[in-house]
Order: sequence, then structure tokens, then C-alpha cells
Amino acid sequence: MRMDDPLLCVRGLKVGFPTADGVVKASNIVDLTIRAGETLALLGETGSGKTVLGMAILRLLQPNTRIEGEILYRGRDLLSLPQEEMQKVRGREIAVVLQNSGTSLNPVLRVGDQIAEAITLHRGLKGAEAEAAAVELLDQVRITDPARMAREYPHRFSGGMRERALIALALACNPSFLIADEPTRGLDAVTKREILNLFSEVNRGRSVLFITHDIEAAASLAARVAVMYAGEIIEIGPVDAVLSSPAHPYTRGLLESLPAKGMRPIPGSAPSLIAPPPGCRFFPRCSCGAGRCEIEHPGLVEVGPGHYARCMLYD
Amino acid sequence: MPGRNTALYLSLGVVLAYCAVALSAPVIAPFDPFVISGPPLAPPDATHLLGTNDLSQDIFSRLIWGTRATMVLGFLGAVVSVVMGTAVGIVAGYYGGRVDEAVMRFLDVMMTIPFFPLLLVLTIFFRPGIYVTAVIMGLLGGLGSVRIIRSQVLSLAVADFVVGTKALGARDGYIMARHILPNVLPLVGVKFVTSAQHFMLVGIGLGFLGMGDPNVVDWGQMIERASKNGGIVLGLWWWLIPPGLAVTVISLALAWFAYACEERINPRFQVMRV
Repeated sequence: MRMDDPLLCVRGLKVGFPTADGVVKASNIVDLTIRAGETLALLGETGSGKTVLGMAILRLLQPNTRIEGEILYRGRDLLSLPQEEMQKVRGREIAVVLQNSGTSLNPVLRVGDQIAEAITLHRGLKGAEAEAAAVELLDQVRITDPARMAREYPHRFSGGMRERALIALALACNPSFLIADEPTRGLDAVTKREILNLFSEVNRGRSVLFITHDIEAAASLAARVAVMYAGEIIEIGPVDAVLSSPAHPYTRGLLESLPAKGMRPIPGSAPSLIAPPPGCRFFPRCSCGAGRCEIEHPGLVEVGPGHYARCMLYD
Repeated sequence: MPGRNTALYLSLGVVLAYCAVALSAPVIAPFDPFVISGPPLAPPDATHLLGTNDLSQDIFSRLIWGTRATMVLGFLGAVVSVVMGTAVGIVAGYYGGRVDEAVMRFLDVMMTIPFFPLLLVLTIFFRPGIYVTAVIMGLLGGLGSVRIIRSQVLSLAVADFVVGTKALGARDGYIMARHILPNVLPLVGVKFVTSAQHFMLVGIGLGFLGMGDPNVVDWGQMIERASKNGGIVLGLWWWLIPPGLAVTVISLALAWFAYACEERINPRFQVMRV
């Protein structure tokens, strides 16, 4: 596969969670393409549907979830793959670094054994061989004294070390596509920097969907960035273009809320996903919204080379 | 108040001693518990340490042999109950949905039927031997364990590390065996000990009510005999008290052991020690 060929294509993805109060429309018609070898950052606030998108790709959402659309991985639709086939894709082709490093390792199993089990599952190595491979992986993610730490239980690991162990776990089978769900969450500035460096180092040539709400982290790792708001991608494009000349009022607001840029918050709060605004989902909080924004749902419009925004301003 | 470890080791010691007695019954017991070994209703002396009963059987030998029946009833029952409870509980809790619903509604129905009367009816009807009795007790008594294990597994099934293992491409059976089971094992262990204690008492209750296996000696049947055939009326304490005391001690030891284990497993019960 050549660089720039699409590895993963999400088309018209709709995800809904049925609840007693109605269906929570966590993702609404998401279209996304990730090319081979590129890192795409998925930016958005809590509850905007970032994690849902990641979990939908791996088909790890609750069984009663309503999913529509297509997720094409190397041309195969993951959503219609039989369970058996999907299990072969998970971990082997597409791996994930889950967002809560504190609870993502089994507390009663040794870290080395947990990494070894991924190796046993897909690479067919057993016993001592798998263990040696696990130690090697821990070494690769810069855990000091990996042979000893492999025999420790997760509670002996610090936050940063757990994050490294999770990265090692995800990379165990050298997947072509990695979903990283806020790998820097809850880490201090120094550890965060280390993890980000490690991340770009171990993922050279790999396609990565980097889910984060940290704009700086996104800028340092990704070539392209997609901004999500209330279950929709409202802006997508090259990192430089999106961050230096944001097209969507929400992205502008997001950047202005950064401490370095005046720390001005966006007024209001994110809409209910059970009954989202019928027109533009950002309309109730938008400073430049016009009458038709309230009733008409905007589509993605090209505002620059490879740079799209979901806003009436450009229609 | 004895220390935590004293309680643990003392109770464990008692349980192990009972097991040793049960295993070496043929060596320790001076007489065959069923043969006529002397005059009837003899008081304790050097040959008959606890005298004889109305059938001239040596009470001490019967007490020793009775340990076996109690251990079989208690531990076999507990094994059946815990294995069934854990297996069904994990499957129901892990898959949730319809599987869980079906299992839970079945349990609701079963649990409205009181345990001991149901057991009595079954033993009256089938007249089972001691092993079958233990299995029946285990199956009926394990229904409660299913609920306890299932409620733990419900939260484990959606734990991040389980989602993570699924994301690695692991199958459900593998996740249940390798990730869920070790997390419920401490609970299963404590449940095993409390079940064993419960089933021993129930087994003795059955014996006392005349539902015991006539081919084995058990303490319940000993107490029943003593109470019906003159032990109480004649004040023959050596006939009545020893089996009762034996039951009490093992039952207390198991309860104590279970509490001590639970205290170690559940951090909430632990006093902060710096």
C-alpha cells in the first residue's frame, strides 16, 4: 500500500444509544478518511463523540447500540464483518490505546503476561518466547529494567509507566492502524512530553487516529486534524491551516479559549444529544449565526486546499 | 481479642485437623463403628473412651468415622455449589441481556422455594446416598452464589481492561477464563468456606431428622439416636455431647476462617496500619 492511499474510510456513520429518555445521537453522519501512514488528530471537548467514533471502528460499543453507515478498512466494511473475522482484525490490524490507563490493565495479572497474551493471540508465540517478546516491547517503550517490571502487577506502575505499558500492549502485533484515545490524559507536563515523543517514534509509518482535547498535543503529532462538536465533524484539514486560520466559529472559539490566546470561553454549553438543534448544532452558541443556521443543517464546504468546514458562512 | 493472623491460623489448624481425622479414621478408630463392641450403654472407660450406645457400638469410633460424612457433605457440597455458581454467574454476568434475564428469572423462581424443606422433600423422595445428597445440596445452595458472582461480573464485564482485551481480538471464553475468573476468585474462595460450613450443618440436620444415609455414620444420626433411644432421658452426656461439640467446633472454625479470609481480601475491612 502506497502512502496517501486511504487505509480507513468512515462513511455516513451514525451511532445512537437507546436510553429511557430517547436515543442519544452520539455520532451524526461522520465522514472521515485516514490515509496510510498518516496521523489524524480528532479534537473535541468531552462528550463530542470522539471515543464513540474510535470504539465504533473496533465495534466495541454496547450490543444495543444503533450503528448505521460504513467503516471501510482496506476496502472491507468492518460493520458487516462476521464476529470471527472482526476478532482477527482487532489487535492484529487495528489496535487501541484506551483512555483510562489506570483501569485498562487487569489488576490481578502481571503486566508482562498481559502483553504476552496479545502476542500469543495473534503471533502464535507461546510461553517463554511470548514473554521475551513482551519484555522487548516494554524495553521499546522505554520502561527501565523491563525484565523485572514485566513480572510486576499494574498497581506497581506509575501513571506514565501504565501509559507506556498500554502502548506496548497495543503495539504487540505491530498493527497497521492505531487508535489512541487520549494517551496523555492525567499526566504531568514532563511525562506528557515524553509520551508524545515516544508516540511519534514508535508510530513512524503507521496510521494513527489520535483522539485528544489537547490542541498542542494534536499539533505536535498530527498532519491533519478533525474537530468534532456534538457528534459531528465540523472542521477538518491540515493542522497548520486549521489552527492558524480556523474556518468554523467553534474552532475559532476553541482556539481563543486557550490560555495563550486570551482564555476566552465559548458561551453556553454543548447541546443535548437526544434532541440536538435541528439546524447547525453550534447555532445556539454561535456569535455569527444567521436565521437559516437555525433551520438548515450545513454540510462540509471546502474552504481551502483539503480544508473543510461545516458552516453556512462559506455556503 | 486474638490478632488477625491468630484467628486465621487457629481456624485453619482446626479445619486441617478435622480433615486429618477424617482421612485416617480407619487407623485412629479403635472399633468398627457398626459392630457390637461390648455391653450396651456402657459409660466411658479405657476400652470405650466415650462408652457405647444402645446397640453396643463404640461411640468414640462412631465419632471419628462421623467426621468423614460431615467433611464429604460440607466440602463436596461446597465444591458443587461454588463451581456451578461461578460458571453460571460468570456466563450470565458477562453476556448480560437475554442470557442473564433467563438465568435470573429462573433463579427468582427457584429461590422462592425454601431450601431446607425442598431438600427434605427430595431426600424423602429419592433416599439418596451421602454423595448424591451433597450434590443436591450443592446445586440448591449454589443458586445464591450465582447471584453474588453475577453481580460482580456485571461490573467486570464492562471494565476497561476487558474492553481492552476484546480490542486485542480475544474471544469471550478466553476473557471469561483468564480475565474475569481471577478477579472473582477471592470471592469464590470465601463463598466456598461459608458454603462448606452451611452444608455441614444442613447435613447434620438431615441426619438428625432421620434422613441420613443409613450406610454411613454421621453426627446427625448419632444425636438422633442418642435423643430417641434414651441418651437424654438417662443423662448419658458422653453419647449426646461429643457429636454436638464436634459440629460446633468445626462450624465455628470455618466461620472464623471465612471472616479472617474476607478481612484479608476486602481492603475495606482492614484497619490502617502504618
